[in-house]
Amino acid sequence: MTTEPGATRDAHLRADCTIDADGRIAFTFRSPAAAPGSRPPQLLLRPRPKKGQPEKVPHALDLEPLDDGRLCAVLEPRPALAEGRWDVYLLAEPGAARQRVRPGLRDLRALVDGQARDWPSPVAVRVPYTTKDGYLAVRAWLRTAHAEVEGIEVTDRTMTVRARLHGTTLADGAAVRLRLRGGDGVVRTLEPRVASDGRAFSFTVDYGELAVGQGKGSRVWDLSVQSRLDATASPVRLGRLFDDVADRKEIFVHPAAQIGAVAVRPYYTVDNDLSVEVTAATA
Amino acid sequence: MKISFLLHNAYGIGGTITTTFNLAQALAERHEVEIVSVLRHRERPNFTLDPKVSLTPLVDLRHEKEHPLHLRPARVFPVAEYRHHQYSELTDQRIGECLAAIDADVVIGTRPGLNVHLALQAPEHVVRIGQEHLTLGNHPPRLRTVLRRAYRRLDVLTAVTEADAAAYRRRMRLPGVRVEALPNSVPDPVLPAADGTARIVVAAGRLVPVKRYDLLIEAFALVAAEHPDWQLRIYGKGEEQDRLRQLIHRLGLYENVFLMGAAAPMEAEWVKGSIGAAASNFEPFGMTIVEAMRCGLPVVSTDCPYGPGEIIEDGVDGRLVPVGDRDALGAALLDLVRDDERRRRMGRTAMANARRFAPVPVVEHAERLMDEAMSARRTGRRTAPERGRIRNALVSQGFAARDTAHAAAARALRTVRRGQR
Repeated sequence: MTTEPGATRDAHLRADCTIDADGRIAFTFRSPAAAPGSRPPQLLLRPRPKKGQPEKVPHALDLEPLDDGRLCAVLEPRPALAEGRWDVYLLAEPGAARQRVRPGLRDLRALVDGQARDWPSPVAVRVPYTTKDGYLAVRAWLRTAHAEVEGIEVTDRTMTVRARLHGTTLADGAAVRLRLRGGDGVVRTLEPRVASDGRAFSFTVDYGELAVGQGKGSRVWDLSVQSRLDATASPVRLGRLFDDVADRKEIFVHPAAQIGAVAVRPYYTVDNDLSVEVTAATA
Repeated sequence: MKISFLLHNAYGIGGTITTTFNLAQALAERHEVEIVSVLRHRERPNFTLDPKVSLTPLVDLRHEKEHPLHLRPARVFPVAEYRHHQYSELTDQRIGECLAAIDADVVIGTRPGLNVHLALQAPEHVVRIGQEHLTLGNHPPRLRTVLRRAYRRLDVLTAVTEADAAAYRRRMRLPGVRVEALPNSVPDPVLPAADGTARIVVAAGRLVPVKRYDLLIEAFALVAAEHPDWQLRIYGKGEEQDRLRQLIHRLGLYENVFLMGAAAPMEAEWVKGSIGAAASNFEPFGMTIVEAMRCGLPVVSTDCPYGPGEIIEDGVDGRLVPVGDRDALGAALLDLVRDDERRRRMGRTAMANARRFAPVPVVEHAERLMDEAMSARRTGRRTAPERGRIRNALVSQGFAARDTAHAAAARALRTVRRGQR
């Protein structure tokens, strides 16, 4: 249960939203959400602060009446939202307490075939979603470049990943990096197979190599791609962002393979990035 | 007029809840409407309920789970009813009190056990309408025997299909009770319809064995083999989740078939697809089929008893395939996947044909039933012109005898088993 100040328990403060392929989001309240006042009511998008960090300035949008009297606010594609989770609030009038908004219909059909498009740098993605406690929020990603996973094929000892780079291209010496999380810079590298367009690439991870040195418990390897040999080029994280699924972890689930005493499986993190988990069998 | 619905649990997810909310909301345009929810386990309903409809819970499981009366089995709510284990002396008492004090003109029960409460406990002046969202054929003999006795005291009994209504008329002798089909209604969609271009097949429902999502996944393997860019999205939660995930993994379909979790409302999910699918062995109505059609999707469904065949016109606005036939289901899906033009045409037809399940026609039907039952009760004449009365009586007595025998045999068997323990 939320105890946040300004939070609302009003079950009927509900907004529909529609997103287009450019990321423009129209938020619409079905019934008038506020009495006409001197200033229009506003929709606030507030970046959820990281633990221990101060609250950032919210993004405010005026709510304008449509012909049928419903109130609507449009979030344009620019400026891009910072990466993270943005909670949606209604500010009925200046000085009033902000109220959290519940989701109505989220029409996200324009996002479904996002992988068919080219995403220029910076890669900015938005997906309106419902929070665990049932409120409307927008998940945003903002990355200079992004490596979109288009398919994963697992066998009983390998996984082969097909991906496509957006916002930059792969040059000679490009490398896929598997970085051990919390592993003091332990990194394994692989050479990807790169298509002639310098964008599409694929690689095969031998699970056996990740299982080497596995002790008790579990370890996680985060996957990224370094676009060229130059060590100053920052690695581009692999993930799957280009559709309507804001939280992929429990939906896009891949089989685990048993390598000796350990289980290995690729998975999507809470940020929809791709990682591999290696877990020692519990005896 | 004032209308009260008696519902098992308005705070859960399921077809009966959805359809009761839909009907209640549509009736609330012209009447005073209340939903009495016997149980409550959370703060708010999963589905949004129009504030015009009032919601009254009777037993709050969040703090009454350990109530001494709730630990004792129900006696009014029939033992043979599927949900008897969730009922108790406390629910008996609260429902009884609620009915005794009710100021509604019409009370509508929404499941067999609650219809029994209604039949036995509603005050004399109240019109009693029992709704059956399940089917007679599937009720165990013991339950049929109880209902055969209690339902005589109803004014109207509605089934959700013509087939089931016919079964009630044939197999139960309910003199003076009007038995009719009243289909579930589905609200008018708010979003633009699906345009038939998406490469997604959508299914929705609880993940329980009778829905045969295993069959649907196996059938979809045929689609994925030929069209790897197509997805199957299954919305819902339930006991089958893990088993279905294992099946998806075993078939190597983890990049094509997704268990999406529950979604309410479904409308925004249907419009992302271009084909709806249902693989049930048994479907009393087929609410999700109508929902998908109203959003412009042709639906491929098994032709199971009773709903799908009364909703889908095979080859015109969807496809009907034999129950449990993986290859037929897969082939029917593939036909629509391969033929963009046919898929779109059938989707448009589905949308037009499913308008008969819109709230307006269904509510008008319900109002007519209520009005007629009310004037019949006022004039002391309880309705229903009876055709072929003697023949029906003989037939239904045959069924009654059989059910009694079955019930007795089942009881005897249980006694024997108990003795052997």
